[in-house]
Amino acid sequence: MDAKPETTIQTQVYASSRLKRAKKNLLLNWQLYVFLLPAFTYFTIFHYIPMYGVQIAFKDFYANLGIVGSPWIGFEHFERFFNSYYFWRLLKNTIILSAYGLILFPLPIIFALALNELKNGPFKKWSQTLTYAPHFISVVVVVGMLVAFLDPVTGLVNHIVVTLGGEPIRFLTDPDWFRHIYVWSGQWQSLGWGTIIYLAALAGVNPELHEAARVDGATRIQRIIHINIPSIFPTIVVLFILNIGSFMSIGFEKVLLMQNSLNAETSDIIQTFVYQTGLIEGQYSFAAAIGLFDSVINIILLVLVNYLARRVSNNSLW
Amino acid sequence: MKTFSLSDKAFDIMNTIFVAVITLIIVYPLIFVISASISDPDAVNSGRMWLWPVDVSFAGFQRVFQNDAIWVGYKNTIIYTIVGTLLHLLVLLPCSYALSRKELKGKKILLWVILITMLFSGGLIPTYLVVQSLGMLNTIWAIVIPGVVGAWSILVAKTFFEQTIPDQLVEASKIDGASDFTIFRKVVLPLSLPIIAVMALFHAVGLWNQYFNALIYLSDESLYPLQLILRQILILNEVSAEGIAGGAGTAQSFVEQVKTASLVKYAVIIVSALPLLIVYPFLQRFFVKGVLIGSVKE
Amino acid sequence: MKLTKQLFLVGIAIIMLLAACSNNTSSKKEENPKLDEEALANVNETGFPIVKDPLTLKVFTGKSAQNVNSDWNDILIWNTYAEMTNVNLEWEQIQTDSLEEKRNLALAGGNLPDVFFLSAMPTLDLFKYGKQGTFLKLNDLIDQYAPNLKKLMDENPEIRKAITFPDGNIYSLPSIVSPDFMSVRIASRPWFSQEALDAAGMEVPETTEEFYQFLKASKEKTGKIPYGGTSMAEFVSWLQGSFGVSNKGVRNANIDVNPENEDEVRFYATSDDYKALLEYVHKLYSEGLVEQNIFSIDWGQYLANASEGKYASTVFYDPIELFGDEIGSDYVSASALKGPNGHQEFSKVAPSVSSIGNFVITSENPNPAATVRWMDYFYSDEGARLYYMGVEGETYEKTADGKYVYTDKIVNSAEGLTMEQELAKYLTWLGGIQGIIKQEYFQGSENAPTSLEAAEKITPYVPEEIWPAFLYTEEENRFLSSTGADINKYVAEQRDKFISGDLPFSEWDNYVETIEKMGLEELMKIHQAAYDRYKKE
Repeated sequence: MDAKPETTIQTQVYASSRLKRAKKNLLLNWQLYVFLLPAFTYFTIFHYIPMYGVQIAFKDFYANLGIVGSPWIGFEHFERFFNSYYFWRLLKNTIILSAYGLILFPLPIIFALALNELKNGPFKKWSQTLTYAPHFISVVVVVGMLVAFLDPVTGLVNHIVVTLGGEPIRFLTDPDWFRHIYVWSGQWQSLGWGTIIYLAALAGVNPELHEAARVDGATRIQRIIHINIPSIFPTIVVLFILNIGSFMSIGFEKVLLMQNSLNAETSDIIQTFVYQTGLIEGQYSFAAAIGLFDSVINIILLVLVNYLARRVSNNSLW
Repeated sequence: MKTFSLSDKAFDIMNTIFVAVITLIIVYPLIFVISASISDPDAVNSGRMWLWPVDVSFAGFQRVFQNDAIWVGYKNTIIYTIVGTLLHLLVLLPCSYALSRKELKGKKILLWVILITMLFSGGLIPTYLVVQSLGMLNTIWAIVIPGVVGAWSILVAKTFFEQTIPDQLVEASKIDGASDFTIFRKVVLPLSLPIIAVMALFHAVGLWNQYFNALIYLSDESLYPLQLILRQILILNEVSAEGIAGGAGTAQSFVEQVKTASLVKYAVIIVSALPLLIVYPFLQRFFVKGVLIGSVKE
Repeated sequence: MKLTKQLFLVGIAIIMLLAACSNNTSSKKEENPKLDEEALANVNETGFPIVKDPLTLKVFTGKSAQNVNSDWNDILIWNTYAEMTNVNLEWEQIQTDSLEEKRNLALAGGNLPDVFFLSAMPTLDLFKYGKQGTFLKLNDLIDQYAPNLKKLMDENPEIRKAITFPDGNIYSLPSIVSPDFMSVRIASRPWFSQEALDAAGMEVPETTEEFYQFLKASKEKTGKIPYGGTSMAEFVSWLQGSFGVSNKGVRNANIDVNPENEDEVRFYATSDDYKALLEYVHKLYSEGLVEQNIFSIDWGQYLANASEGKYASTVFYDPIELFGDEIGSDYVSASALKGPNGHQEFSKVAPSVSSIGNFVITSENPNPAATVRWMDYFYSDEGARLYYMGVEGETYEKTADGKYVYTDKIVNSAEGLTMEQELAKYLTWLGGIQGIIKQEYFQGSENAPTSLEAAEKITPYVPEEIWPAFLYTEEENRFLSSTGADINKYVAEQRDKFISGDLPFSEWDNYVETIEKMGLEELMKIHQAAYDRYKKE
């Protein structure tokens, strides 16, 4: 859009006219900028002012000296992390676990589309409320239930397996099972909750489009595919990209509860590793360093996916 | 004129079955939790209880409501949720709307400023120091202001505005002489019921379940929200190695304690989730299909 | 566009710079605890009260689960002690969930308490902040103002060794389990079901071979699970003494003394003794003699099973106390088994110094001498009695045969609470040992008759010397928390895999080689250095 000016005079003229245009815009749309004020004031005070704390990743933290006063140790924390015997395993497991979860991304969308097609009434209301309720069950209880169902001896699932003539499966200690159990139990719990945002988006679909399509003889499925999905597509893209933005930051509590030495091959992730080192000796700055590492990966993925989304679908975050 | 073709009917039936099956699969843990909260813990732990309650006992709920503190917790949480959600909407909606307008310049930078807050954080200590220096410690503000708005909600809401507010409408209103403020109030908000409802719901649920801010910033027990009180009850009743090694008491009491600990775990979930589950259907009508019919036509 | 961008970035940078500058928290660097003349004059060298003019101290403490409902600013034990000492305490009780954050905030936010009490202070932090002077050096203060602790240290030199850092300084007062209160130091212990013994036609097993026979017989002849416990690690911890492994106690992971050279530390996790131990446990597990879900079982499940008498043998705390009279009285205690190579040790024992970071005096403290005197009382008999039993007539009484027991109102709570919950209303010791805990002045499951009896059976097999946790320099700690932690993690994971059969013993050499490649030699140099320091004192 902006051509590259060739001479310095042109640059000056260009620059001053840009400034003028900026001022003009500001005056014209000053109200919109006022709209931004509360949010950005909040971000400045509560996010950017504390942002200096990020440097703790490069320091040997002494609480009494404060973050600024603590001595610099450069990349020592990162080296320690990269040199750990477990580094590759942690990285691999974290990425795979996250990616696996990401693959299930379309499920709430499909379910939302289905719910949306129901006629308004008690069945619709009940199915929505019931499916979103598991979101409130605490992680401890969810894992407790999993342990109870999947127990090699007393668990319900193994009872069925044995009755059908098989050997009991050691779900809880077999590394091959960990990921499936983790991800699908997560979906079990969050499917209903995930549909809410899509339902809201679907509420904005223009019903006239549906009328027109129906008159043209389109079936329900065709209408869903050609009207509903495209209408909510920007929302889908945005949510997907935002999801990528927290790719490395898997909630660790559930993994910690499900982890044991026998399934550690797949259940050992970066976050649980950090938590455990913190138990031995408070490792405040080390944890911060690893958090920073995660953030850097998140941001790279974010930019990448956003770029791809823009190229492929014309929808993106920015 | 509405015609119901055969394929439409078939679709309806298949769809209903699909939803019903999924709902049943998902509802199972709910039934389990409710049954477990009033069943004999040994039956729960050994796997005997898997659907309906076994040997009903309300000891778990009794333990939870034993302490009056829980009502204080409810009261505080309700206040925090209402105030916090209102603040959230107040900060979020104008910001997202402005970011959705094409005529806003500098959008890319602004979006990046927001995104960075989602990706990087200064950590607990600097944030705590800011809260402390603003004199917000041990007040409601330490609960409702940190986290009042986030990158996720801003970006999702912005997308909604871009999708549902037609440009022509805004242009037309401007030609009629309306200011941005007026347009926002009179045109945009009424059209945005679904997004307002959803954002309010998400934030309210987040506040309702919130625990960490209260843990760090509050020291006055009379300000404790529900989650904090429930957590206290939970750990008070928990059984662990430390508890035993430190002296467990008489035989009777220990066994009883173990039993109630299990019940308390489930009772706590129900006590904390029930109000939200009751409120949800009322909010749900705002993002039901068809709520916008008629409002877009001008 | 570019200009606004630049202005914007500059603006952000300025804000951040301002914030960074304004956040220079001042740190008081003390060389030696400034023993204020006035403060010293206020202190009575001996006897009560401790200070002539009332002294107020701000104390930061963790709030264990059992103490969740008790307010230490108004509770029998502290009220009583305040009257005795003329020292008033302002307690800030922090829940365990936020303890680490709040502790760091207290240090960072310039809001230092006078004392850190039961705050789960990491050992490394003690050293870090001690060297800086934020935590006071206590050596001289102990000599002058802590006669009770000094006496204990003279009688038991390992106490002083356990709390002295490589720089020769002591930065915190210890929590001590009286060396002869074995029952607490052993913690959980082995129990056998008499019913199962009868069915197997055996006495309580005394060798590993007998134990194996018993397990097989229980499996065939009773419906019980031959062995079940709360974790595999605990089971191994009991059996390790039968193979000469971990011969100096459990406090230092994976190291003990070389049986052929008392001066050398050994990394037992690569030794043949350890391999024999794992092979034995693997045999038991693979033949179904150990509860198959022991690697993932949680406490609730274990207790549900145990209180129904499902286990023919187990390692746990007092069965009568915990499972009830009916099931509990079926269990008989055992001690150390004799292993195939003649070892018969019970090494699952904690050192007498149970924790070294539970009483820290900070540079903010207005009267360190008085503070040390305050804590020192709890290392005496009367102090231990006050802390663990309370006030005579109110919370405890003396029986005809000279024993101390809780009063009726504690044991039979008027409000239907458990003994623990009732106790928490008056005393604070639940969930955290402080001062010294002695057998005579204690009432808990470790003191139950069956448990004491078991402890007596076990004591003869406890190694002569039990190591406390070794203390390391900062540089050594860096290695320990990175490579050292990785090695310990590897050992723990492979241990379970060998036992469960997921890893065959043909891989043993690989396992040893991997550990050596990870940096075992460097690790052992560090441990050896720490041991040398320990011996020297």
